[in-house]
Parts: sequence; structure tokens; C-alpha cells
Amino acid sequence: MKKIDGLEYLKLSKWNKFVYRFLSFFAAIPGKLLNLCKGIGKAVVKFFTGIGRSLQDIVTTFVHGDWKTKLSYLFMGFGNIARGQVLRGILFLLFEIVFIFYMITTGGYWLSKLPSLGTVETHTEMVKEQGRFGMVEVAKTVPGDDSFKILLYGVLTLFFVVAFIYTWRANIKQNKIAEQILKTGKPLKSGRDDLRSLVDDNFHRTLLALPLTGILVFTVMPIFFMILVAFTNYDFEHDGLNHLFHWNGLAGFKEMLSWNSGGVKYSAAFGEILTWTLIWAFFATFTNYFLGIFVAMMINKKGIKFKKLWRTVLVLTIAIPQFISLLFVSQMFAKNGIVNGALMDLGIISEAIDWWGSPTLARIMVIIINIWIGIPYLMLIATGILMNIPADLYESCRIDGASGWKQFSKITLPYMLFITGPYLLTSFTGNMNNFNVIYLLTGGGPTNTALSGTSDVGHTDLLITWLFKLTTGSNQKYYLASVVGILVFIVVAIITLVVYNVLPSVKNEEDFQ
Amino acid sequence: MASVKLTKVKKIYDNNVVAVHDFDLDIKDKEFVVFVGPSGCGKSTTLRMIAGLEEISEGTVEIDGVVVNDLQPKDRNIAMVFQNYALYPHMTVYDNIAFSLRLQKMPEDLIYEKVTNAAEVLGITEYLMRKPRALSGGQRQRVAIGRAMVRDSKVFLMDEPLSNLDAKLRNQMRAEIILLRQKLDTTFIYVTHDQTEAMTLADRIVIMKDGFIMQVGSPAECFDMPANLFVAEFIGAPKMNIVKTNLLKENGKYYVNPFGVKIEVDGEKGRELARRNVPAGEILLGVRPEHITLAPKGQGISTRLEVNEMMGSELHLHVFTEDETRLIVRVPTIGLSAEQRKGMVYGAPLNITFEGKVMHFFDPKTEKNLLCD
Amino acid sequence: MSKEQKEAQAVMKQHMGLKASQRLSNTIVYIILIIMSIIWLVPFVAIVLQSFRNETNAAGELVTWRVSYWLPKKWGIENYRSLFVDTSFPRWYLNTFIIALVQCVVQTIIVLCMAYTLSRFRFKSRGKLMRFMMILGLFPGMLTMLILYRVLSDLNMTGEHAVPGLILVYVASSGMGYYVSKGFFDTIPKALDEAARVDGATRFQVLYKIILPLAKPIVIYTILTAFMAPWGDFVFAAYIAHAKEAGMNVAVGLNSWLDKDHIVKYYTRFCAGGVMVAVPVSILFMCLQKYYVEGVTGGAVKG
Repeated sequence: MKKIDGLEYLKLSKWNKFVYRFLSFFAAIPGKLLNLCKGIGKAVVKFFTGIGRSLQDIVTTFVHGDWKTKLSYLFMGFGNIARGQVLRGILFLLFEIVFIFYMITTGGYWLSKLPSLGTVETHTEMVKEQGRFGMVEVAKTVPGDDSFKILLYGVLTLFFVVAFIYTWRANIKQNKIAEQILKTGKPLKSGRDDLRSLVDDNFHRTLLALPLTGILVFTVMPIFFMILVAFTNYDFEHDGLNHLFHWNGLAGFKEMLSWNSGGVKYSAAFGEILTWTLIWAFFATFTNYFLGIFVAMMINKKGIKFKKLWRTVLVLTIAIPQFISLLFVSQMFAKNGIVNGALMDLGIISEAIDWWGSPTLARIMVIIINIWIGIPYLMLIATGILMNIPADLYESCRIDGASGWKQFSKITLPYMLFITGPYLLTSFTGNMNNFNVIYLLTGGGPTNTALSGTSDVGHTDLLITWLFKLTTGSNQKYYLASVVGILVFIVVAIITLVVYNVLPSVKNEEDFQ
Repeated sequence: MASVKLTKVKKIYDNNVVAVHDFDLDIKDKEFVVFVGPSGCGKSTTLRMIAGLEEISEGTVEIDGVVVNDLQPKDRNIAMVFQNYALYPHMTVYDNIAFSLRLQKMPEDLIYEKVTNAAEVLGITEYLMRKPRALSGGQRQRVAIGRAMVRDSKVFLMDEPLSNLDAKLRNQMRAEIILLRQKLDTTFIYVTHDQTEAMTLADRIVIMKDGFIMQVGSPAECFDMPANLFVAEFIGAPKMNIVKTNLLKENGKYYVNPFGVKIEVDGEKGRELARRNVPAGEILLGVRPEHITLAPKGQGISTRLEVNEMMGSELHLHVFTEDETRLIVRVPTIGLSAEQRKGMVYGAPLNITFEGKVMHFFDPKTEKNLLCD
Repeated sequence: MSKEQKEAQAVMKQHMGLKASQRLSNTIVYIILIIMSIIWLVPFVAIVLQSFRNETNAAGELVTWRVSYWLPKKWGIENYRSLFVDTSFPRWYLNTFIIALVQCVVQTIIVLCMAYTLSRFRFKSRGKLMRFMMILGLFPGMLTMLILYRVLSDLNMTGEHAVPGLILVYVASSGMGYYVSKGFFDTIPKALDEAARVDGATRFQVLYKIILPLAKPIVIYTILTAFMAPWGDFVFAAYIAHAKEAGMNVAVGLNSWLDKDHIVKYYTRFCAGGVMVAVPVSILFMCLQKYYVEGVTGGAVKG
């Protein structure tokens, strides 16, 4: 399409402007994708050239280094100790000893089993035993390999190996730097200097050490592990202990995404649930957003009294743990719950409504109850932002002759959207993964009979609750849960990328400053 | 009290932008040095490198003969006043000033003495128990200076300390800084973008542009003998008039002919040109507005008046020559008759002239002063 | 009447109209707000009413199941008594309280460390680290439940011993939630850090003498949210407790009373338990509401 420059664009009619922007947004997508691919490609190239340069550096350091450096290639930290940096040296050496000990005792075993995920099934064997009356044959269960443990500890060992290589590299770098410093005639940092720098120069390392270790062990490694699970056949039957599971390539993805996988229609379930997840996230985000702003504006309206009271009442839904409010509300709307009771007493309805029984009604109900939960947050956020909008913007707008609605649509809303752009994005992706509201209100129900055999998929199930059902239901399909998790990640990542590219607060940060 | 020496100091940012190029400077003990230049010229970066707030990419900084490149700011024994004062909002004025002393674990009674002394000198005794947000801009500035004062540090760094004050306060504080300097008797490094501050405060001015030093010299040197076109235009207000013209050489005498009017370069400037045997040719001629005088009708360069700014003691006249070049002329009010002043309206013809001794000559290519080394 | 007078009158009229229309719109707003307040309060009033139900039916049984009428026919605190005497509720309550307490100390420290570092230090891998954490955050956390369960069960931290397991996992992943605090730290001028460092403070002193006092609202916000989260956490706690009553927190325990087999006997006690949890937590929240608002708005604005 033709590019129009700034001034020409201004001459277009409103409709044409919209069409132009619409088209140019989509026209830009291929280019952006290309850029993304290029970026990824560059990163990969950079990664490998980095490794190459490291290797080169390792070799040259060895060739040009003195004997202390050379010995450090075998005994980590030797150079440090020989040059008087005892503390560093001992730490290096200790790490090496621990690593070697671990690899010999257990690590090697796990690594060697990792490619097969175990070969020996748990089985019964006839064993000759010394009975009371001589030798008898007894059936005995012999524990085989545990695929789960092999995968788990294999991954752990892999991480450990990577950490070791990294440390080894650092050890070599240290030697090189130490040699250079000594050449210039300056003294090296002593152990005391190192310790002192931990609260000053290197304070960031101290501060990050603990949190990052936690994240590495309890977030990064599990995610890495679960990604690997998607490429196995780990499920209820093949639980690893009683029956081994194996690497299974992309079979899990195939089962989830292909339309002709036979008996169980996972692909159909996936399509349906993804659609509802997106619809839900859209409504949950934007109803809350606009109603929240609306309520905030009402409360902050000139001449409205008891502002604090209104706010406090609404904030109750934040203060009270969601599981109480949501579970109770779900009970209120039960078929013989108090809502139906009240409505019948008042004569509004003659027969109890099955709020959670029909798919459409249940879906509408979760969205409405989510509004009840969500408005207060938005009200708080919007109040904060509304107060920050410079009053002179409104004053000049009024002098220019704008009505109340114009003031809202030309100043309040753009300002809000600009400031809360990133928040909208995170709240959209957060709603996609909003386990609590769905699970506590409907548990995913009512059951979708057209999709039987797919772990009781219901009409209000989100991908995340489905994932939960796949791992906890009666017929656990762990590898499918893992596949769903990866697909959720991909969907969320795509949305995030696209939105970040359109978001004004990212593109022109200074607009409203 | 200390000397500061910068050798080939360079600042390269992560995105490979070079903010400061090979900065060489020797600051003597008890000297007051001002870094001045337009925003983005690297003056603040240089100061922050001396303070240790910015890593030094290349070169060395020495304070009192000790290389401080790898020292943390707290170990450099410096005091600094920040542009936005950087007062700790949660502490009272007293605690703000006492903060550094408490970190040194000085006994409280000594701290009390020092803080109250400094407060008295700065006239902020009655505000000692207030929080910074209850103070006016000028008072905050004093607190910031007080905080730096009590430290008895070797070097006193000031990063645009007056630029957030209004014009009147700024003049007042400027005078107080001069007084302070006499009391403290220590080495000062002061950063500003305001040439007036630089001229009034400095023993030596360092004029910077795009990370390069343009000229280092006393205020008088920089004013009388600007090393290049940039310094010439930067120092002095209103700024120097620059005219492209020819330097002519006839019978050993030099002439310029701006706007077709031939003026002899007489006096010292003429002798200097001759001594250096400057060849005739195209040059950039610079004349400060205050050095231009009004000439009788029919003499000098004929112009017409565009804008007449009445400054009180003087008039700033914006005039256009016949070829539409704008010049600024500064005329003392006292030398003008009432009739003359009445005639100075839009479009009035004015004749101007200037003498040879006030002229500055710049090479049109290198923009260097032809009479400077 | 002169022209000017006419104009003046027109302006007056307009002015009056403005006032009247404002009064009208304010009335509408009041009506909406009152209706909203009722909607917001009804469930909480209802749960309190249900929790005081102490009536027996025709057969002489205590009505402990769900009914469709609002007001109890007979009031009493039998549900509360039974809650504390006959059930594991006190155990759940204690479990949750311990988790919340540990959590609000440790998580606060970790979050503040992360936020301060990422806001103030410019080290080499900072950008990469933040991007990596963002990508990590896009994975559904539920995915890792399975493996964490297995790891914790290897460490004997599931079932009855779920409390230390839960604490471990919560604490370990709390570094991910640094965004809000970092956003707040970013608003504290860097010149303050620099001034303090020139004044002779180490990085550590800068943190606890300058930044922390100034970041009081966000510190309290972090403590508050860290304390409140365990009271509502459901999924992971249920998974780790693995249907062992001794290892449950209040959310898991009370939820287990609502399944088909229990609801008849436990519904009113569920309501009582809900009230017992909601009252202290919401009182705490209301007291610190000011800081919560500051944190929420600050966090949303900074992204």
C-alpha cells in the first residue's frame, strides 16, 4: 500500500484516516515478523559467535598464560590461591570438588539414563529364598527405573553441568585479568576487599543471589522440565514408576492440534476452549476497565458526598479473600440457593433458574460476577490517575468549547489508555489465566457433552482450568497438560508482542509527560 | 584542599556515544574552576566522573596525587551540590546536614556544633527542624550547600546549583557563593550553562562543546581573546556579531570591508596581524555589540532599526544592514540625547561603526581565532 | 428590554439550567451508587446471616445445609462453636496464619531486594535478566505444580507437612513479583542515591537510610499483599495438601466442605469459617488501605 506523509494524512476524511491506519497496521505485520525473525536470528548468531570467541579466548589464555594460569585449567582456583586471592581460590576449588564428587556418585548415572528415560520396567521375579523348609521360589516385585526421577534429576544434573562450565570459564577469565593487573604493577583485590565489595560495588550480586536462586530452582527448572514432559508420553498409565514413559517427539502436539487423531477429540476441545478463553479475557478485561473508570468518575464527581464510604464499600471485594466471596456467591446462585429463593418470594419468577446449568447463562454469569470482583481494582487505579490529569487540560478544553462527553473522550480516555496501556495488557493475559474465578464459581461446568473423554471439559473451562483438569482428573494426561501449557505461553506471547508494538506508551513515552 | 588532575579522561556510553573526549586539565589547590557549555556538552559528565558517580571509560582522575578511578564516591572525600538539591525528603534540615557526619561516626556534640555553625553562616538556623518540602527554593539551595560545607572535604563540586532558582535569587546566591568560597578556601569545580555565572565566579573557565574542550582560561582571557568562533559567540551577552568579510592588506596595513565599508584594523590588533603576517583573504569578523558605536549620518555602515530593546542603562538595537544581515548594537543610554532616543523607532536609519582594536578575526574553515595559538 | 439585558438573562437562565441539570445528574449518580453498594454488600450480609443460622427442622435435625431463605429462623453461635471444637478449622487457621506471617517477612525482603537492585543498579545483564523474567512470567504457573509436588514429596513436605513446602515454594518464586515495587523505586530521584553516596554512604546504607524510609508506602503494600495472598491461595495449596486435613490452609479446607458429600453437613459452618477468615483480613486491609491504593495505582501507572 501507498505510504502517505504527515500533512497529506491530515487532509484525509475521518473514515479514510481510519482505513489508512487499519491497513497500515496490517501491512506492517509482515515487516515486524521479519524483524522479529531477524532479531532472533541475530541473537542466535551472537550466541554462537560468543561461544566461539570464548573458546578462542580460552585457548589464547592458555597459550600466553603463565604456569599458574595453566594449572588453573585443571585445578580451578589454583591461580587465585597462588597469586594470594585465597578466598576466591578456595571457593573455586570447593565447587570443583563438589561437582566432581556429585558427578561420580550420582550425576553420571542420571545423565546416562536421560536419553532413554529408563530401560528396566518394574516387574515381578521369581527369587529363590531360604524358607523354613529349604529353598523356595517366591514372587518378588523388583523396582525398575523411575522415568520421572530420571527426567527430574537428569535436568538438575544438566543445569549443574552448565553451571560448572560457566564457573570454569569464569575461573579462566579471572586468571587472565589477574595476570593483566599484575603486569601493570597494581595489587590484586584481597579476600577482604571481595567481602567488602559485596555490600558496595557488588551489592547487586548480594541482593540478587537469593531471589534468583529461588527463581532458578522453583520456577525456571520446573518450567524447563515441564516443557520436556510435552515431548514424552507421561500420563496416568505411563506414570514412570510402574510403567516407564519415553520420549515421544511431537506426538503430544499432534494429538492436541490435528483434526484426525481418532477417538478423543482433543483438537476440538482445544479450539473451543481457546475461543472461549479469548472471549472471556476480552469481556473480563474491558467490562471491568470501562465500568471501573465509570464508577471512579461517579465517585469523584463534583458535589458527590461520602466519597470515602462508597469507596470502602466497593473495596470490600478486594479485602475479603476471593475464595470466600466467590464460593459463597456460587452457592447463592445455586438452583435452590437464596437468590432464586428471594426472586420467587418476590414473585419475579415462578420457577427456579438454573444459573449454572445452561452454557450461555453460566458464561454470562461468570462475566458479571467477575465485574463485581474487578470493578473495585479499576476504581482505585482510575481514581489515582484521574486525580493526576492536569486540571489545565480540562480548562483549556472547556474554553475551546468541549462538552462533558467530548472532555471524556478527548482527554480522560486517551490519558487513561495511555497510562494504563501496559496494565490492560497484563490484565488481559492475567484474565486468560484467571483460574480462581472460573474454578471457584463453576468448576468449569456445565459439562460439555460433545467433548466427552477430554477430562470433563466444561463450557466455562479456560485453558488454564483445563490444564488443571488434565493433571488432576481421573485420567491424567500430563504430557497433554504440558502441551496446553506451552500453547498458552505461545498465545500469550503473541498477544504481548503484538500489543507492545501498538501500545502508545511504549512507542512515544513522552506524549503525556 | 587539594589539586585535581584529569589526564586523557574519556567517557564512552554503552551505545558507543562518546560524551567526553580526552579531557586534560590540571586544577590547582584552592582554585575555582567552572565548566561551562551548552547542554549535552559533557560538562556534567566530567564532573560526575570526578565525583565517582559515573565510571571513567579511559584516562585517570587524580585527587591530591592519588588516582581515584576505582574509588567509590564515599572514599574520594568530595562534597557535591546537586542541581535539584537532592535533599533527603524524609529528614529534617538538621538531619540532612548531619547525614554525612553521622556516617563518619562523628560524636553528636561535634555534629551539633558543625551543623549549627554552617546553618548560621547560611542563615538557615531557624529552619533546622523543618523538612525540606517546607522550604523555598533558595532555602533548599542553602541546605544543599550546608550539607556539602560541613564535610571539610578536599574538593567542592557543584552541578548547576543555581539553575532552578529565579533570576533575582540566582544573582543573590551567586554573590553568596563567592563569599562562601572565601570562607571555605578550598578547591571548587562548578558546572553551569550560564556564561554570566562562569564569568563572575571562576578563576578559570573551561568551555566545552560536544565533549571537547574549546578553551581554558581566565574569564578575561576568554572574553578578550576567544580561541575560536564557538567561544566568541558563547561568552558575552548579547552574543558577538559575526560577519563574513574580506581581510585586505595594503601597504602593510590591514583593512576589513564589511558591507562594502572599508575600515582600518588599527591599534594592537593591526600590529598583531602584521607580526603574524596573516595573509589577506576571506575571514569571519567578530565584533561585540558593546563595541559598536553609532556614527554620524553618511559615515560607517548604514542600517535600519528593526527592534529597540530598552534595558534601562542601555539599549539593545537590532539593526539590519542593506544586505539583510542582522547585527546587534549595545548603546549606553547615558550617551544619547532625548531627541536621538525618540528617533529610534522601527525602520529608522542608523549608521554604525567600530574600531580595529575591538575586532576578532576567525578562519572561516577552522573557525579558529587568527590571533590565537 | 435592551439587548444586553436580554443576553444577561439568557446567561442567567443557562446558569440556572446548569445547576438544575447538575442536581439531576448528581441524584442519578447517588441512586446508582446506592444500588451498587447494596449489590456489593448483599453477599457479605448473606454469609453472616447464614453463619448464625441455628434452627432445627421438623425432624429435629440442625439445619446445616443450604436453604433458599435469607433470615435464620433461629439465631445462635452453634456454627462457630462447632467450627472450633469439632473440625480441623483451627488447624487450618493456624497453618494459614503461619504461612502468611513467614511470607510477609521473607517475601517483602526478597521483593525489595529485587526491586531495589533492578531499579538502581546498571549492571551488564540487567536488561537480559528483566526480559527473561518477563518471558518466564508468560508461562502458566500451574504447569509447574506437578513437578513441584513430586519434588516436595521427595523432601517429605506434602500432605500433613504441606506448610513448610508451601512456604518454600511461595518464598522461592516471590522474586518474580518485583514490578510494582520497582515502579515505585523508579520514581525516587536517583540524585538522592548519588548525594548519599557522595556523603559517604555505602550502597547498603543508601538502601536502608534513604530508599526504604522513602518507599514506606510500597513496603507496607508489599507486606500487606504478601500477608493476604496465602489466605486466598487455593490451587497450589490443595495440590500440595493432597486431601490431608492437617496440611490444608483455610481456602482448601473450607472448599472441601462444599463438595457433594460434605455440603449438607457443613454449609453453615463454611459460612462461619468464611466470616472468621474475612473479618480479620478485611479489617487489616481497611486499616492499610491507603498504602494499598498507593501501591496499586503506582504499579499500574508504571506498568
